[in-house]
Amino acid sequence: MRHYENLVIVKPTLTAEEIQANVKAIEEVITSNGGEIAATSAMGMRKLAYPIEKNERGYYHVIYYSIAPSSIAEIERRFRINEELLRFVTIKYDTNREIKAWNSLVEKANKAAATQAETPAAEEAPVAEEAAVETPATEEAPATEAAAE
Amino acid sequence: MSEKRKYKKRYCKYCESKVDFMDYKEVASLRFSLSERYKIMPRRLTGNCKRHQDMITVVIKRARAAALVPYTVTRKQVVTAPFENLR
Repeated sequence: MRHYENLVIVKPTLTAEEIQANVKAIEEVITSNGGEIAATSAMGMRKLAYPIEKNERGYYHVIYYSIAPSSIAEIERRFRINEELLRFVTIKYDTNREIKAWNSLVEKANKAAATQAETPAAEEAPVAEEAAVETPATEEAPATEAAAE
Repeated sequence: MSEKRKYKKRYCKYCESKVDFMDYKEVASLRFSLSERYKIMPRRLTGNCKRHQDMITVVIKRARAAALVPYTVTRKQVVTAPFENLR
């Protein structure tokens, strides 16, 4: 078993429920291949640094898990088939230092998830939906603001 | 470089704060080693040590693949400042 981290970007054009269903399916892929998910953290809807398949935004989700190294190829193959995925990045945590970092990242993600559970979980879903709908409108204003700084 | 050295002694910022691991998802912390156009800054300008420069290059390249940091910025894009990520 080796520690891994996967960052996936889901298409922003989907509705909030569809995005959640997709994230579930992605996690399912990992668990069905014998992986153990240690933590997940939703980074939420973000602006992409550059357009991917003409999308300006994407729903970021990070999964920390441990799995046998031979299963990674299968997982990546399944990810490539999934058309709702804009991008995935798989990171291997191999050396002792990296494993230590992985543990701290998992801890941090779990802590963040716990605090988010206390504040109503409903908060996250509408935000994602809203962002998907009004993509062009919100984009302009903060950008110019940042330039003015 | 010679200009820079007149008033600054070179030292590795990461060694000073004892960075052992960098996370590619913390985009704000990568900014130090990126130029205005999001190129990776050379060691001779930032003063990073070899070890940390190697770490940061890997991390920046990961962040680029994850669309957290742009690969290039053209004149048209340069205004939008991708670091200030909008919800």
